Amino acid sequence: MDLSSIFNVGTLLNTFNTATIVILAGLGCLMSEQAGMMCIGIDGMMTAGAFAAAVGSWYSGSWLVGVLCAVLVGLLFGCFYGVMVVRYHSDEFIIGVAFNIFAVALTTFILRTVFLQSGSFHPATGEIKTLPYLSLGALGGTNINISLMVPVSWVLIALLQIFLYRTPYGIWLHASGEHPDSLRSVGRSPEKMKYLGSVLCGLFCGLSGAYLSLGYLSTFTENMSAERGYVAVACVIFGRSNPVLVFLAALLFGFIDAAGMRMQGLVDPTLTAAFPYVGTILMMVFLALRNQRKLKAKAGHS
Amino acid sequence: MRSERWKYILSLTVSIALGLLIGALIMAATGHDPLDGYSALLRGAFGSKRSWGNTLYKTFQLCITGLATAVASIAGIFNVGGEGQMYLGAIASSYLGARLAGLSPWIALPVCFLAAILSGALYAWIPAVLKVKLKINEVITTILMNSIAIYLCSYLANGPLKTTERGINSGTDAIGKALRFNRLIPGSNLSETVFYIAAISLLVWYLMSRTTTGYRMRLTGQNERFSRFIGLRADLLGIGGMLISGAMCGALGMFECFALQSRFKTDFSSEFYFDGMLVAMIMRYKPLGIILMSFFFGALKMGATTMQSSTKISSELILIIQSVIIFLMAAEEGFLRRVQEHRVRRQTVQKEG
Repeated sequence: MDLSSIFNVGTLLNTFNTATIVILAGLGCLMSEQAGMMCIGIDGMMTAGAFAAAVGSWYSGSWLVGVLCAVLVGLLFGCFYGVMVVRYHSDEFIIGVAFNIFAVALTTFILRTVFLQSGSFHPATGEIKTLPYLSLGALGGTNINISLMVPVSWVLIALLQIFLYRTPYGIWLHASGEHPDSLRSVGRSPEKMKYLGSVLCGLFCGLSGAYLSLGYLSTFTENMSAERGYVAVACVIFGRSNPVLVFLAALLFGFIDAAGMRMQGLVDPTLTAAFPYVGTILMMVFLALRNQRKLKAKAGHS
Repeated sequence: MRSERWKYILSLTVSIALGLLIGALIMAATGHDPLDGYSALLRGAFGSKRSWGNTLYKTFQLCITGLATAVASIAGIFNVGGEGQMYLGAIASSYLGARLAGLSPWIALPVCFLAAILSGALYAWIPAVLKVKLKINEVITTILMNSIAIYLCSYLANGPLKTTERGINSGTDAIGKALRFNRLIPGSNLSETVFYIAAISLLVWYLMSRTTTGYRMRLTGQNERFSRFIGLRADLLGIGGMLISGAMCGALGMFECFALQSRFKTDFSSEFYFDGMLVAMIMRYKPLGIILMSFFFGALKMGATTMQSSTKISSELILIIQSVIIFLMAAEEGFLRRVQEHRVRRQTVQKEG
């Protein structure tokens, strides 16, 4: 077996391309996670964002409008999630799972009933403008073209890292999840911060959806997030809600996905498609085992 | 307790009515006449003997999947992975059903059934142990394991276990004729399996509502610490709930293949488990409620396929209506609590004043 067929520039590119979906969704998820809410519903927000981006871009003929549509839909869904969880104290998991089913059903319904197409969105007239590609020359015989959203996601990671750990808002956000009462005692409303967390969660998931339908692929397909939202939640748990660590976890996921694709000559493609999901579960098991060992060691010391 | 139940029934009725109203608004917004849509739906659910058969079968299917969700949830684990457990049960039993075709059905069928429930239960055991021992969130693991199971089965049905029969794309060998279940109404999905589904459902309902084991599971699901403090094996009870849930899904996988498909096909299920899961969520995991309301949602679901073919309104509308009902009921609970809190606060202010 030739290792260079698996580890090459193409794999690296695919790693970043796939990881960006999870990175953007993960950034959203960690905003709500910081505020003490586990947002299982990000998978649905991504699907809805992807649909809004594809339709917006097709309707207006501009990718920027598409991205704005996705962000708007993400914001709306984030608000909705915030109202359900913060105001009405609904169970996060029930709302999240129902939310994902709702988003997939709604987008599929509109696609089939309004646009009279099933499977994927292929308008008869006009075209879906995709995000611009950046050409970075060639390396090792492979042309390096990356979607604009890939570097944007890196900038966002840096910005969020500063926002979360260097600004009062970030600290309040964290406190609203960890110590809501102490936040209240300094005159800040934990509810407001939780709303901020869920709205930002929707915003980033919308961006992730826009990248899905305008960057990673160039159209919307039914149920297109393919459980990557859940992978993002796993990455956030793995990265302990820290943007940089979540980024690394997402890269690991992207690498398993890309390497699996390269191994299709060796292993059946239907099996390699399952690799990233197996990898994600193993990642969570590894983290949990390590945490448990740490706890035991601590108990032994005292 | 009694008024509590009436309040719940009232809120359920209002939520369902609002859900259907929102469904009508969506139809109107997309340029269809809601009356046309709903009458096509009714015709599809009860229009002929065949559609009655399909509706009744869907009722039983929702019943077993809904109860499978409920059992695990009552014991404290939210099983979103029934779809994967169903696939594994289906492929394991179908494989044996083809290999054991020469044996007497009295031996072969129980073996197949055992294979189905064991593979379903085993696949549910993994996330259950991860949840109980390592505190790994079960919603994420079960949903990812759905994808893994479906890819695995698709690999098996296209690779090692692929049938040599011509004209079958991705499926295993045909199950022995003597092992298949007969249809009760020709042309419809209603088959002899409904007796088995009914028996399993009643058994599970009895276990959950009338036995100490069921009571202990409920206790564990509501307060795991408390259940440990009074000396119960909370971990085993939680895992047990998941095992029963997985076994039920595995059994349904076998019924689907042995009655309707006559072999394992990769597309035998169109997310059947999620339909039942939604019913269970709407009924707040009450076993009796799930059994009773399965008929209503079964009719909606089956009617929707006819609605789709005759009015071009996509049957996904039913999923939208169901999730809206869940949102409404979740919001209503919180809304009433807020109103009550407000009232209590005003009363205390008045007393103090």
